Amino acid sequence: MGASELRLCRPAQTRSVAPIRRALRTFLEALAFDGAALDDITTAAGEALANAAEHAYAQETKHPRRDVELLARFERGELSLEISDGGCFIERSALPGRGFGLRIIRAIAHQMQIETSHGTRIRMLFPGPLLKS
Amino acid sequence: MNEDAMIQTIRLAGELDLSRKREIRDAFAFSNGARAVLLDLSEVVYADSTALTELLRFCAMAQGANTPIAIVIAAPQFLRLVQYAGLATAFKVFPDRGEALQYLSECAGT
Repeated sequence: MGASELRLCRPAQTRSVAPIRRALRTFLEALAFDGAALDDITTAAGEALANAAEHAYAQETKHPRRDVELLARFERGELSLEISDGGCFIERSALPGRGFGLRIIRAIAHQMQIETSHGTRIRMLFPGPLLKS
Repeated sequence: MNEDAMIQTIRLAGELDLSRKREIRDAFAFSNGARAVLLDLSEVVYADSTALTELLRFCAMAQGANTPIAIVIAAPQFLRLVQYAGLATAFKVFPDRGEALQYLSECAGT
């Protein structure tokens, strides 16, 4: 079986988050994800998207337009999710009360990496539905 | 507001995410005379950390005012979100309105 891929790019705004999240959920349902796994992956993606939308404009004067991009790829029984933006990464301690997002992602994703060299890029890995017992 | 028990009810439904941050914050406000607050989120189908942050803020205000709060959450996604955020013991969460009201009535001594 070949790879299945979903790639979406929208302006990094709060109103972009829900449509991308819903499109991902539809993509996951088509791959037979369901129940808690479906909810959890959507939740983790939603947190990363919200982070991107909230923070992508932190350097707005230098870069007046930014996008948030989601890439979901299902291959060889594993789902990889990558959410990136052109904003500057903001540490949890700098935003009191807004640090739950990364904690939630870490609790859900089997692997998670953050790159902050050029914008913020969050990569997550999840087992596919066929690997569940 | 339930006039007999002086229990204020706040209801929100649908998806509680970043795009509704202002609406959530505005909704989480005390009415004059409330001795307890029921947050009826039973019709919320999705929540993110924005909702958790506003819940925490409101509960901290309530604690300062010595006003008990009960939260009704039905969606499994929302319940797990609370767990993943490490907030399972931070809120009084109930599966339905009846249990929440009973808890609040006991707290308020009505």
